[in-house]
Amino acid sequence: MNAPDRYERFVVPEGVKKVSYERDTKIINAASFTVEREDHTIGNILRMQLHRDPDVLFAGYKLPHPLQYKIIVRIHTTSQSSPMQAYNQAVNDLDKELDHLKSAFEAELAKHSREY
Amino acid sequence: MEGRSYQRFPTVKIRELKNDYAKFELRDTDASIANALRRVMIAEVPTIAIDLVEIEVNSSVLNDEFIAHRLGLIPLTSERAMSMRFSRDCDACDGDGQCEYCSVEFHLRAKCLNDQTLDVTSRELISSDPSVVPVDFASPSSEYDNAENRGIMIVKLRRGQELRLRAIARKGIGKDHAKWSPAATVTFMYEPEIYINEDMMEKLTLEQRMSVVESSPTKVFDIDAKTGRVVVVDPEAYTYDDEVIKKCESLNAPGLVEVHPKEDSFIFTVESTGAIKASQLVLNAIDILKQKLDAVRLSEDTVEADEQFLELDAHMRGG
Ligand SMILES: [Zn+2]
Repeated sequence: MNAPDRYERFVVPEGVKKVSYERDTKIINAASFTVEREDHTIGNILRMQLHRDPDVLFAGYKLPHPLQYKIIVRIHTTSQSSPMQAYNQAVNDLDKELDHLKSAFEAELAKHSREY
Repeated sequence: MEGRSYQRFPTVKIRELKNDYAKFELRDTDASIANALRRVMIAEVPTIAIDLVEIEVNSSVLNDEFIAHRLGLIPLTSERAMSMRFSRDCDACDGDGQCEYCSVEFHLRAKCLNDQTLDVTSRELISSDPSVVPVDFASPSSEYDNAENRGIMIVKLRRGQELRLRAIARKGIGKDHAKWSPAATVTFMYEPEIYINEDMMEKLTLEQRMSVVESSPTKVFDIDAKTGRVVVVDPEAYTYDDEVIKKCESLNAPGLVEVHPKEDSFIFTVESTGAIKASQLVLNAIDILKQKLDAVRLSEDTVEADEQFLELDAHMRGG
């Protein structure tokens, strides 16, 4: 009866930012990104991509509660980089990886359909 | 300031491809990408499914909501879904089925007039859009046997019973309700690398070798008829059950057989419900994942707010 609507899981409410950014008050080059209406799908690929960056000292994500439809990504970098730069780089690299994956799959598909 | 790129270049090899089934190898990436693809295929690639039912007459033995639920679960051909609008985003209508951008209308009329029980199936659903129809497993393009296929059963009617309704199908995703999931199953496994220590194997009797072969619940190993050696016949049949490892230990030969999962190589199997082709399901999943990544990019005002914060911070320190 008081269950949240199913669409609450993936529709960002009006007036809420998809990604918000908060600097750590004590540690320099550390910050948290709160990503609304995302889960392990995005959280885990971001985390693993951030681990490939040697300037990233720490990267982790958490889903605070199954009924809070958001993830928190925490990044700590060296002074050579910044959490924002590392975050942007990770998103760009993942995007390019998927572009590559798509064309690789399409090429295989074309090859496969020619063989039959 | 642009940083260095740490991008990967994954490779794909398709092993088997049917309309509703695909098996392929994915290499040179990690489990996070493989799992993200799997999750998106199951829960976030859109399809079209019946979402609203107006019942005019229902004198069948099943109640209205039971029939509405069954109608929702019927897979509909959904090639259109990627370019369709979600009803909640549609500004051309209020999602009542009057709008071609976000809805497809269906009608069903059936009445049993004789003593023979009437089967009402998905074939009785009349669509307003010829591209969105119940998945027909008996059509010549599919690999199924035509003879016994008469659609998906909705309800059975006896003499005098009638069912008449109007239904609206909408675009949706599996995260909302499983009826919108285009995936029957999506799985991936690490490709196993199986290593047999030949020197240790030499020291075993044929009987002991047989016991090693038979210890695996799946047919991974066999005895070479000529040489009498244990050979790997099908590494991918291995289910990471560790039975063969335990057997080696019980034979006092730990390390006789070793299995290493290759952590950058995956074997995927994708089965579709028929709503879209299995190959299209994979491609759509990549597109959806790209859209999701695009949505999580930092917005201009977030970056600006941080720059202002930095200036303010410098000012405070300076003052
Ligand atoms: Zn509409």
